[in-house]
Amino acid sequence: MPLLAIEGLSACYGRLKVLQDVSIDVEKGGVVALIGPSGSGKSTLLRALVGLTKPTSGLVRFGDETIRYDSAASLRAARRRMSIVFQQYNLFQNMTVLRNVTVAPVMVQRRARATVEAEARDVLAKVGLAGKHAAYPDQLSGGQQQRVAIARALMLRPDLLLLDEVTAALDPELVGEVLDTIRTLAAGGMTMIVVSHEMGFVREVADTVVMMDGGKVIEAGTPAELFDHPKTERAGAFMAKVRRP
Amino acid sequence: MDYVLQFGQVAGQVPYLLGGAVVSMELAVISFGLGAVIGLACASLQAYGGRVARGVAGAYVGLFTNTPAFIQIYFLFNGLPEVGVLLPPFAAAAIGLTLVAGAYLAEILRGGFASVRRSEVEAAEVLGMSRLQTIQHVVVPHLLRTLFAPLSGFFIWMVLGSSISALIGVEELTGRAINVSSATLRSIEVFLVAAVIYVGLTIAATALLAGVGRFAFRVRMKVI
Ligand SMILES: Nc1ncnc2c1ncn2[C@@H]1O[C@H](COP(=O)(O)OP(=O)(O)OP(=O)(O)O)[C@@H](O)[C@H]1O
Ligand SMILES: [Mg+2]
Repeated sequence: MPLLAIEGLSACYGRLKVLQDVSIDVEKGGVVALIGPSGSGKSTLLRALVGLTKPTSGLVRFGDETIRYDSAASLRAARRRMSIVFQQYNLFQNMTVLRNVTVAPVMVQRRARATVEAEARDVLAKVGLAGKHAAYPDQLSGGQQQRVAIARALMLRPDLLLLDEVTAALDPELVGEVLDTIRTLAAGGMTMIVVSHEMGFVREVADTVVMMDGGKVIEAGTPAELFDHPKTERAGAFMAKVRRP
Repeated sequence: MDYVLQFGQVAGQVPYLLGGAVVSMELAVISFGLGAVIGLACASLQAYGGRVARGVAGAYVGLFTNTPAFIQIYFLFNGLPEVGVLLPPFAAAAIGLTLVAGAYLAEILRGGFASVRRSEVEAAEVLGMSRLQTIQHVVVPHLLRTLFAPLSGFFIWMVLGSSISALIGVEELTGRAINVSSATLRSIEVFLVAAVIYVGLTIAATALLAGVGRFAFRVRMKVI
């Protein structure tokens, strides 16, 4: 049984159908990469999974529980198990790095502050931010902020991590350090859905690649299948375009 | 131009003028404090209220930000007695200034509400924070930080603006300067001294606020 099963999920913004009948399975420990042109609905899919954009139809099953997006309790339970990292970091600007990553474990999960802070120091060290506990987000580089956002998501000990183009807003020289962080997570067995335009990286870490266009899943398969032998014309055209430097 | 500045007579009145400065500060603090409560209520109604509540709050803000404070205070002091409501000068001035402050503060706070980053509120939501926790830990600190400088500026403006109450006979700094001026006929000297006291007041208040802002909210403000 997959850890997460998305079955026929649809969503709209007003009359615009941004997700149409999307179905994806995510195995435990697996890494699913979402690729596709701009505006194809990748971010919307991640937002829908965590209930920020309400699905209009379809099912999302987490383990053996179906998430009910109209139920506050069901949504709260689902959000305890999955964490999202936004493309624009979305850090709390008025909090230090340490407080950004500890606020939810302390206030939402009601864990003891001392243990949470000790764990936060560990996690921050792992993403290469050991000396930055007291800094505010506006005192950090983009890559550092993005790693704080990843640390914040990890502190909730999610079963599933959703990463939305976490390198898209970064300067090229900062991309490497964030990708390293994700590589380490993948090697450690973290289940992830990763939206990315870094095709080399996708090929390396993903078990499954899902290509979306116009709110639909066009093709899904292993990286080798999708990159080297795309079955659909649309996927082939997209691959040809992104492979060109 | 053979006017000779003579501060002799005025010097003896400095304590009297300083007493007036205390009254000015009282007016500013009272009207700012009460005005903040009204402003917060109005801004909340305008942002989250129903249609009627939005309309009432909007009408109040519109009325008081589009008419001279002079007329509002005159109305309270000279107009209300006609219908049987007699207010002493200080009360009329305090109420008038409070109503003006409430309207302007509503506008300032509304701008603050609009500047709350949706992305941060969404981040709090997916982290599982409750609405109350989000307001307490994300929204209010953001408001304090972004609004501290404009609110400080408005407070200084109220210190100076309270001088309008001299028109209805309140003996604050300006009122007392007018009194000394008519008694001594040393207008230039008296108003120079009053001006210096005003500048001293505003610099002291600004420096204090800048200090608080710097250490409590990481806000940098210019003192002069
Ligand atoms: N808040 C919104 N209101 C209305 N339409 C929106 C909103 N957010 C996204 N859309 C539309 O939904 C569609 C899908 O957007 P989405 O952000 O999911 O695309 P994406 O695949 O993540 O693109 P990108 O690669 O550029 O991030 C687009 O057509 C976009 O214009
Ligand atoms: Mg996107």
